[in-house]
Amino acid sequence: MKKINSSLIVALVAAVTLLLTGCEDVIDLKTATGPESLVVDGWITNQPGAQKIRLTRSTSYFNNSPAPAALEAEVRVADDLGNTYHFLDAEGKGDYRWIPANPDSVMGSVGRKYTLHIQYDGEVYTAENEMRRVPEIDSLVYTAETLPFKPDKGPKSGYIAEFYARDFPGTGDCYWIKPLRDGALYKSNPVYISIAYDAAYGAESATDGLIFIQPLRQSLTIGELFEDGDRVGVELLSITPETFHFLKQIRTEASNGGLLAVPSSNIPTNLKHAGGKRALGFFGVSAVSRLEGTVDAQTARPEQ
Amino acid sequence: MKIYWLLIMLGWGAIGSLTAQDRYTVNGYIKDAANGEGLIGVSVLAKETGAGIATNAYGFYSLTLPAGSYSLVYTYVGYDRITREIELNADQRLNIEMTESSRVLEEVTVSTRQEDENVRSIEMSTNRMEMKTIRKMPALLGEVDLVKSIQLLPGVSTVGEGSTGFNVRGGDVSQNLILLDEAPVYNSSHLLGFFSIFNPDAVKEVKLVKGGIPAQYGGRISSILDVRMKEGNTKKREISGGIGTIFSRLTYEQPFAAGKGSFIVAGRRSYIDILAKPFLNKDLRDTKFNYYDLTAKVNYRLGDRDTFFASGYFGRDVFGGGDFGFEWGNATATARWNHIFSNRLFMNLTTYYSNYDYHLGSGKETDPDAFLWNSKIISSSVKPDFTLYLTPENQITFGGQYIHYHAKPANAVAISEGERIDLTQEAKFADETALYIGNEQKIGDLLSLQYGLRYSLFRSLGPGTVYDFGESETGERQQPVLPGTTYGKGAVIKVYDNFEPRFSANLGLSASSSLKASYNRTTQYLHLLSNTAASSPLDVWTLSSRNIRPERADQVALGWFRNWRNNGYEFSLEGYYKWMENQIDYVQGSELLLNPFVEGDLIFGKGRAYGLEVFLKKNAGKLTGWLSYTLSRTERKVATINGDDWFPTRFDKPHNLSLVGMYDLTKRLSLSANFVFASGTPATFPTNRFEFNDWSLPYIYDNTRNNNRIGAYHRLDLAATLKSRKKLFKTGESEWVFSAYNVYNRRNPFSVFVRINEENPLKTEAIRYSVMGSIVPAITWNFKF
Repeated sequence: MKKINSSLIVALVAAVTLLLTGCEDVIDLKTATGPESLVVDGWITNQPGAQKIRLTRSTSYFNNSPAPAALEAEVRVADDLGNTYHFLDAEGKGDYRWIPANPDSVMGSVGRKYTLHIQYDGEVYTAENEMRRVPEIDSLVYTAETLPFKPDKGPKSGYIAEFYARDFPGTGDCYWIKPLRDGALYKSNPVYISIAYDAAYGAESATDGLIFIQPLRQSLTIGELFEDGDRVGVELLSITPETFHFLKQIRTEASNGGLLAVPSSNIPTNLKHAGGKRALGFFGVSAVSRLEGTVDAQTARPEQ
Repeated sequence: MKIYWLLIMLGWGAIGSLTAQDRYTVNGYIKDAANGEGLIGVSVLAKETGAGIATNAYGFYSLTLPAGSYSLVYTYVGYDRITREIELNADQRLNIEMTESSRVLEEVTVSTRQEDENVRSIEMSTNRMEMKTIRKMPALLGEVDLVKSIQLLPGVSTVGEGSTGFNVRGGDVSQNLILLDEAPVYNSSHLLGFFSIFNPDAVKEVKLVKGGIPAQYGGRISSILDVRMKEGNTKKREISGGIGTIFSRLTYEQPFAAGKGSFIVAGRRSYIDILAKPFLNKDLRDTKFNYYDLTAKVNYRLGDRDTFFASGYFGRDVFGGGDFGFEWGNATATARWNHIFSNRLFMNLTTYYSNYDYHLGSGKETDPDAFLWNSKIISSSVKPDFTLYLTPENQITFGGQYIHYHAKPANAVAISEGERIDLTQEAKFADETALYIGNEQKIGDLLSLQYGLRYSLFRSLGPGTVYDFGESETGERQQPVLPGTTYGKGAVIKVYDNFEPRFSANLGLSASSSLKASYNRTTQYLHLLSNTAASSPLDVWTLSSRNIRPERADQVALGWFRNWRNNGYEFSLEGYYKWMENQIDYVQGSELLLNPFVEGDLIFGKGRAYGLEVFLKKNAGKLTGWLSYTLSRTERKVATINGDDWFPTRFDKPHNLSLVGMYDLTKRLSLSANFVFASGTPATFPTNRFEFNDWSLPYIYDNTRNNNRIGAYHRLDLAATLKSRKKLFKTGESEWVFSAYNVYNRRNPFSVFVRINEENPLKTEAIRYSVMGSIVPAITWNFKF
């Protein structure tokens, strides 16, 4: 598989190095716990139907029981045209929903700015975000590939799936690329987060208006090859540069150990607090393009 | 003010020399009788007056005395003492060849210096290691390693196993000036940090200067690692080599022009790939996985006054497979001319070229999808150094250096479906000029001083485009003000200059003890941008610019030095404090590679390091070795990081203990052991977790850095060297080296970090990551004939 992501190459060098004997062990670790904060997990899209914002509270790092819900909050989203959408926690589980009367109603629309207001436990929190444009996905393409060795997962001979789409002219368009398998999101571990800044990885490289570069196109194929007849797909979400940095930091911190680890730092948030208490999490807004297809040995590109 | 003071001191020395009547000079080169290698640091003493001097890095000495008869005594540990009666009524040349003492051949391994150098020398915070010693120490996979060996000295540490380079007294890996025959080396390791790039068969001596840095050295703020290559046997042809677990080595030395010249060629290559090839299937057969280095040196003596040297190094790490390739390495070339102007004035003129580069890519320019990237830094320099042996009491050194830098941070192209994306960054140019003068002065029997001043001038040069960036107050990336200012070829963009005073003193307390003190200021104009725990071969060396000010350090050190048992034991206790300015740190989410506006991702802070170092060395007897213990602290303070407060650096290790022992059991068998114990390195752990998108994410409530420490590191290594009874090709010799690294099989942590469970992204876990997870045994066979 051709991959040209520089961080991937660094990882490859590290892997080569660690052919020697490097090893990882899960250990018990005691860490101090900080005070509890409100956590916002909200992502508004232009897809029809209900929208959800989940509110929980932070816990100590190694507490692996589900996060406690943040109940009895007042949650609403306003757009820059004066529309307000109220989110209600009907089940009392911290899942605040806007449910339209008509299930085909769409809340989000490209070009609108959205402001989230939350009143919880005597404090007021706000967050702003914007629904950016997203390009249509042109096609899904499959290329035959044979790995040099039998992998742990997936076939030795199979197919690399990739999608084709072109970034809009004008710098600063960012995207979150989510792979689908059998109609559902898969490989959702944050180490696999695939995000694009214009057609490549960052503001540093001038890739405005191009077809997404190959490693982004192939980021649907993660760790294993597809087989003939597999249903694959992609969701392309428009995001703002701020959201891009939020997701990038999540990916960095998701597995940040070893020789080439960078110093740990906090994942940013777009939540603002009027009082003294901070909130964690993020209020995301995206327009979504989606395309699905089936791997077909007959039409797949031959192996190179 | 400091300059006046210096001139007064120099003047004092000069007057002393002018008022003396009828003084003559005896000088010459001192060589090893066995192979003609110049001997560094041989003591030359006039018995009658007690006046003495030591040979310089080329084995040259010069001693000026009143007319008369003298007995000159040449002493060097491990060599037979030589006494020469001379009638000094005119200047004279006296070249000496010294013979290794057969009686103590096996006994002396740790140091072959002046016997009481530890106490008498002006040098402090300086360690010398002979390859002979390094060879005997147990090594990872049996590969004799210079850089790993110096990590066992006081004041030297590392981020962890497998990391490139070394840290000296709180400096990062880029703050060491690593010189190979006076040419700087930018990356001292093969395969990240597993093996050093120096072929042990081609190295003569290693000197590490951590403090009291003399005026002739400059360019890095923490230390100087001065590696001198062998000159090549001037007596006979010699072939040596070995087969190790990782490398195969071969060295050839030969004299020419009737011993006036000689050369040495030494090569090393890893051979795992060659051994593995027959076992790989077709798809993997084009896999490249090797590293090699080639070292060569030639010297020629023309007449009585001139010696010429040329040396070169070329090393490479190569990885690849299919259409993917990645390689990196250093190349250096040095030419030197030693000239004796008058009997008292010695010159070494060096010119060098040094290049570090890497290439990495996937595919070819003609492919629809490809990525090709290379980066390099080239420095070329001319450096005259003079030593004036004014009187036995005053030895003046002066000289200068001019360096031209040409940095290509990235030359890269990405091709996506036939569309080319040019990621090339502008080349950067700069030059650095330095002038220095210093004097080593003896005042009476007890006090000696070394004082000097170095002036350095750095110019950032065009052509180039310079951008201004806003001040980073929030710790976020700063955007450039476009379009920037463009400069033409040769235009001076920015100038920095610095006076760097250097001072050392040695006060003799008794015949076997002394007190030493030193102060030095050092400046660094070249910076390695690296934000990872261990430096990676992709890290880019960056020149000072309008936005990157030079790094600067001030260090004071005080030490007590004592020898016992007729210099059989050496002891030193040193304390140091170091202040560092303009230390580079990075904004959150910084992109240091392929980023034309990388300066916007940098933030600057200050550093401080202090510590106490204990060093006890046993030089003689069947058992030799040393104990080294360092108690230290290394911290940084950078706005926006750790709440603007001091935090420990990634390589801060408060306790660091090394024990090295070598024991000659019989004439044929010797044993050795290393034991190291060090505090765990700092780590940052989250205080909370929060759930987002069905992921557990970490949160550090007080946003501190390095707020915890991982478990301690300790390790024992053993080795045995058995000399073969059979003569190889009648006259040669061979030996087997059996070694074991990490004998008691400890999983030492390189780091501890937290992550989300792979299967369940809501579950959090802590991971201990070890680079070496088990004992590593190895066998090596060495030969020489």
